[in-house]
Amino acid sequence: MSARVQFTTGFSRRYTGGVREFTVEAKNLRGVIKAMDRLYPGLGERLEEETTVAIDGAIHETAYFQPIREGCEIFFIPKLEGG
Amino acid sequence: MNDIAPTRFKWVGTRPIRPDGVPKVTGRAMYGADFATAGTLYGKVLRSPHAHARIRSIDTSKAAALPGVKAVVTAEDFPDHKFEYVGPERVAQNFWHMTRNVMAREKALYEGHAVAAVAAISRSVAEEAASLIAIDYEVLPHVIDVDEAMKPDAPLLFEDMITRGIEPAPTKPSNIAKRVEFNLGDVEAGFAEADEIVEKEFKTAAVHQAYIEPHACVARFDADGQAEIWASSQGHFVIRALTAKLLNMPVGDIRVTPAEIGGGFGGKTIVYLEPVATLLAKKSGRPVKIVMSRDEVFKASGPTSGSSMWVKIGVKRDGTIIAAKGEFKFQAGAFPGSPVMNACLCAFAPYNIPHQHTIGYDVVCNRPKSAAYRAPGSPISAFGVESVLDILAKKIGMDPLQLRLKNAARAGTPMIFGPKLGHGGYAETLEALVNHPAYKTPLGPNQGRGVASGYWFNGGGESSASVQVNEDGTVIIATGSPDIGGSRASMALMAAETLGIDYNQIRSIVADTSSVGYTHVTGGSRVTFATGMAVVEASKKVVDELRGRAAMIWDVDVEGVIWEDGQAKPASSNVGDFAPMPFKELAAKKALTGGPITAAASVNAGGMAPGFSTQFCDVEVDPETGKVTILRFVAAQDVGTAIHPSYVEGQIQGGVAQGIGWALNEEYIYDRNGRLDNAGFLDYRVPVASDMPMIEPILVEVPNPAHPYGAKGVGEVNIVPPMAAIANAIDSAIHRRLTELPMSPPKVRAALDAGQAD
Repeated sequence: MSARVQFTTGFSRRYTGGVREFTVEAKNLRGVIKAMDRLYPGLGERLEEETTVAIDGAIHETAYFQPIREGCEIFFIPKLEGG
Repeated sequence: MNDIAPTRFKWVGTRPIRPDGVPKVTGRAMYGADFATAGTLYGKVLRSPHAHARIRSIDTSKAAALPGVKAVVTAEDFPDHKFEYVGPERVAQNFWHMTRNVMAREKALYEGHAVAAVAAISRSVAEEAASLIAIDYEVLPHVIDVDEAMKPDAPLLFEDMITRGIEPAPTKPSNIAKRVEFNLGDVEAGFAEADEIVEKEFKTAAVHQAYIEPHACVARFDADGQAEIWASSQGHFVIRALTAKLLNMPVGDIRVTPAEIGGGFGGKTIVYLEPVATLLAKKSGRPVKIVMSRDEVFKASGPTSGSSMWVKIGVKRDGTIIAAKGEFKFQAGAFPGSPVMNACLCAFAPYNIPHQHTIGYDVVCNRPKSAAYRAPGSPISAFGVESVLDILAKKIGMDPLQLRLKNAARAGTPMIFGPKLGHGGYAETLEALVNHPAYKTPLGPNQGRGVASGYWFNGGGESSASVQVNEDGTVIIATGSPDIGGSRASMALMAAETLGIDYNQIRSIVADTSSVGYTHVTGGSRVTFATGMAVVEASKKVVDELRGRAAMIWDVDVEGVIWEDGQAKPASSNVGDFAPMPFKELAAKKALTGGPITAAASVNAGGMAPGFSTQFCDVEVDPETGKVTILRFVAAQDVGTAIHPSYVEGQIQGGVAQGIGWALNEEYIYDRNGRLDNAGFLDYRVPVASDMPMIEPILVEVPNPAHPYGAKGVGEVNIVPPMAAIANAIDSAIHRRLTELPMSPPKVRAALDAGQAD
C-alpha cells in the first residue's frame, strides 16, 4: 500500500532536515516506521517514542498493528496528555 | 459516517444507580488516608519556607535522636538521575527534575518544596522531629510572574537552562525552558485579506484542581525488597512506574493498590509522597503513612499554569475567519513542563481557519510544578481566542453562535498540527444552542449573555480488563482504571450490553497492579473509550467461551450456537431442537464443561474522537460591588454515545462549575517574599452551591464509529469555554472587556471605574 506520511514543522526540522512529506509503501504502521527509519536511521525510535499518529484524521496511539489503506494520509503528531 | 443508533441498546444509555454510592454516603469508602496496617508509622514532610534558596546544609541529627523517630530521609537518600528528557516531547519526563521535585537537592525552588521527611510513632512526634531538622539556607531572589520570569535580568532557577526549540540554541541561560511553534497556511497573507482585525493581551491566574481529598498513601517495604503501596491516584500503574524509576527498583517489586479517590482532575497523575513513604518504610522497616494537609496540597502539588498571552484574529465582513495568531506564555512552576503545547494545538481547533500560527513558551518560576488539570492548556488559550472572537462578532454585528457556525471545523478541516479533523460534532453543539429557547430570552439591566466554544483531543491508549463468571451467574469485571467519573458503572453497562445480562448481575471493581494488566492513567478522557473497549473485548471472549460450552452440552459444532439476549441458542433448526440455555445455567455447569469461565483483554485503543463543547451563560453584574452573578448556564457537548447519561451530565456540570471558579474567583496569591497567601479553602475561593446557577447540560450524541458503542471522552472539554463565555457575558452586560482572570469584584469595579465603555 502506498501512503503519504507527513510531519509537523518542528519534528521535520529536528529529524528530517526540514522535509515534511514522504510517500512510503507499507501494509501497516510498523512498515511505515521501518521505511522512515531506512531513510533516516534512528528516526523509527523517535516516532515510536514521541508521537501519536493520525491516519486519515483518526487519531491513534503509535502502534505497529495499525493497518494502512492505499492512498491514506498519515500524520505523526506530538504525543498528548490529558487531565 | 456511523450507523450506531443509541436507542438499539438495552443497557447502554440507561441510568442505573451508581455502584460506589452506598459506601461513599455511609462513610465506608476507603480513601487514601483511610488505609491502616499494624505498626504503621506517621510520615511528615518538611518543606521550604522560602520561594528560592540554596540549601547549604541539612542537619538531621537532632530529629533522628528524638525518641519515637524511626527514620529520616533527605535527597541524599534518593538515587540521583541523569539529566535527560525521556519520552514524547509534550510529555517528556526528566527524572533529574522529578527527583528534585519530590525532594529538593541543591536548591529549594518554591515555598512548600520538600526538603526532608521523617517517620515516627505518632503524628505529633513526626511533627516535632521535622521541626528539629536544621537547614542552612541561602535565600535567593525569586520570580513568580511569567512575564517577569522571561526578562533577561530575571533571577534564574537553573543557571544552565538553555531554551529548547530555538535554532541556533541561545548562548545565554534563561527561565524559558522551551519554545514551540505551529503553522498552517500563511498567516500574514491571511491578515492582509481581513476586513476587521482584533488583537488583545490576556492573563490568567494559576488555579488548583482543588480536589477535596488531599494526597495520601501508605507504603510498606519488606526485607526481601518487595514493596507495597496503597494510594489515592488517577493511575496506580503510573505510581508504580514512577516510584520504581525514582528509587531504582524493578517495577515487579512494587505492588500498588488503588484507594477510592476523592477527586483528581489531572492533579493525581504524578507522584509526590509515594517515593518518600517507600524510602521511609525501607529505612524504618515499618509501614509509613503520609497525608498532606490542605496547606501542603496548595503549596506543593500542582496547580495548572497561570499565563500571559496575545491573540490576533482577522475576519472578513461576511464573518469568515481568515487568519489567527496566538502567542502563549505559560508558567511551568519550578520545573519545565507546562501544557503550553496543548494550548497552541487547541487554540483555534474548533474553526476552519486557513491561516494560523501559534507560538508557546514554557517558563519556569518559583511556584509549585504545574500539573495536568482537565483539558490541560486548552481552557487557557480558549479564554483569549474566544474573547477576541466575541469582540469581532460584535464589531461586524453578527450573532456569536452564527459566527462560530459559519467557521465551524467539520470532518476534513485541516488542523494546525497536521492532519485533517477526523470527526464532526462541533457544529451540532452550536445548532443545539441556536435552537435553545433560552438563547433568545430578553435580559434586564446590567445583565448580559456570552457564548464560547472549546476543543479537546480526548485520549485512547493502553487499558486492560478481566471478566470472571461466578457459579451463580453473577459477574466480576476488573479493570486497571481508577474510577473518578463513574467508570465502574459505565464498564458494567457495556459488559451487560455485550453479555446480554442484567446490569445488576455485574460487579465492577478497580484491581491492583498485580491483579490486572497494565492500564494507563484515568486522564485525558480516555477510560470509557479505551478501558471500555478492553471490557467489551473481554466480554466477547466470555460470550465465545459460553457458546463453546453450550456446543459441548448439545454435542454440536460451536458455529451452530449463537448468543442472543444472554442465552445460547441454536443458530438454526438444522442444528437441532434445543431450548435456549441462559447465562446462569451455563455458569452453573462450569465445572462439567471445562472449569472457571474467565477472560482477559488488553488494548492499545485508537480511533478516539475529539470533544467539542459550546456554552452560553447569562450574568448580572452588580455595579456597586462588581460582583458577577451567574443567572443561567447552558452547556452543549458532543459526547458520542452517552454510556451512562447521568454521569455524562455530571461531568459537564462539574467542568462548568470549575470553570466558573476559574473565571470569577480562583487564583494563587503571593506575598512579596514569594509565599502563598491563600493556601486554604477559606481564602482560595472555589465556587460554593450558592454561587451556582442550574447548569443545564445538553448531550449532543454524535457516536464514534471506532468504539463498539460509540463512546467519546466526555470529562474535559466542558471546562474549556466557561471563562470566555463569562467574560463575553460581562462585556455584554456592562460594555467592559475584562482580559485578566479571575474576574473578581475588585477587577470588575476597576473596569467600571476606568475609561470608556467599549
